[in-house]
Amino acid sequence: MDILQLIQSNLLTPIILFFLFGIIAARIKSDLKIPEAISEFLPIYLLAAIGLHGGIEMRNTGFENMLIPMLVAIGLSLLFTLNHYQILRRLGKFNIFDSYALASTYGAVGAVTFSVGLSFLKTQGVTSEGYLAAVLAILEPVAFILAIFLTNMAVSKQIRQKKKSFTKDDTSEIDVGLQETKTKLSQVLHESITGKAIVILLGSIIIGYIIGEEGFSSIKIVFDEMFTGAIVIFMIEMGIIAGQRLDDIKKVGIFLIAFAIIMPTFNGIVGVLVATGMGLSLGGAVMFGLLLASASFIAAPAVLRHAIPQAKPSLYITSALGITFPYNIIVLLPIMFSISTLVHNGDGSIDLFNYIIKDWI
Amino acid sequence: MKLYNVKLLTITCEILAQKNIIEILSKHEITGYTTYEVDGNGARGIRGQGLKTEKNVKVEVILREEKLPDVVEEISRTLFADFAIILYVSDVGILRTEKF
Repeated sequence: MDILQLIQSNLLTPIILFFLFGIIAARIKSDLKIPEAISEFLPIYLLAAIGLHGGIEMRNTGFENMLIPMLVAIGLSLLFTLNHYQILRRLGKFNIFDSYALASTYGAVGAVTFSVGLSFLKTQGVTSEGYLAAVLAILEPVAFILAIFLTNMAVSKQIRQKKKSFTKDDTSEIDVGLQETKTKLSQVLHESITGKAIVILLGSIIIGYIIGEEGFSSIKIVFDEMFTGAIVIFMIEMGIIAGQRLDDIKKVGIFLIAFAIIMPTFNGIVGVLVATGMGLSLGGAVMFGLLLASASFIAAPAVLRHAIPQAKPSLYITSALGITFPYNIIVLLPIMFSISTLVHNGDGSIDLFNYIIKDWI
Repeated sequence: MKLYNVKLLTITCEILAQKNIIEILSKHEITGYTTYEVDGNGARGIRGQGLKTEKNVKVEVILREEKLPDVVEEISRTLFADFAIILYVSDVGILRTEKF
């Protein structure tokens, strides 16, 4: 009942209402649209605000306790990506390229989802650990790099096998193909690390760390008080794009629709429990869960279209933006919040965590 | 006025294929090109709305006829299968041959 009430009250927050409004606007084919410059600016603004907050809090709390959660997050992200791949390939019968592309889309993190999560916690009057912004930056390329590496391995294995069976064929072209595969990975690595999302996020974390609470007071009105308002404007745009894609959802198939709902739920709940076990706060555990539950839809197409061009973007963009994103911010966020409250309030929350983990093993 | 005959290669493609095309061009030592963002409708539905990464772009390249087959061959071999792409060639006349 508690969870249902929370979902209900979450539905009536400006963020969700404007998102739904955007969907409706797209469905009635309104020409409403956020100017391109603004919709490009808002993600940068959101990441800057997240980074500044993270940096300031890291100055207060220090780096020491950041290392373990970060390593655990990377480990879980890699594990989940492999897990997604197996499920998609074996149960979903997707081809190898689509499987890896989808697996990494769901292993990667969504910065917009993260912003909505922060604002959700703000509404609930709960804070979260600032270093999670740094975890967001580190996690961004991790799943993609793994998926691209594994795809390239699989492709070069196939090429080698073909080469063996057709030795009479002109092999020079195949060699060129192998070489291209190798350079692709380092290119992707370079591109994702110097990509605008990570650069602005890390830059703002460092600036936030340098300026601290005092320096922040002069820009607080822009980067703190306007934060939720800016998300609301961005949500109109997200709603419109999601609304335009609603027809495509039928095309992705029932398996992927189920995957786009069940996987984030599983990943998110595991994330909340693991974070609680590591001693993160109530809000921190929710954000940690959200990091693992979220799917990437802004960074994913740009990275994957180059690295795994054979994968169909309509699959991974539609499922991440059209299904998982709304589900995460409307339903899963309150669920994770309730679970986190439950495990944090029960006396000896760590015992409960161990108990649940034992149950799974 | 004396006009010299060269080829104009026009490629309309999704914006994420632009980099691949420009790489191919520079591999064939073609440094000059013009790009602009475009909207349109085609086999992959209406393009140019929604996410920035789903826009279309038009790349125009003027090149000598002897380079054309290799460039077109490489673009069609590496990109046709995976990207939304339309490619066509037309005859154009130029004034200054030393530029191409």
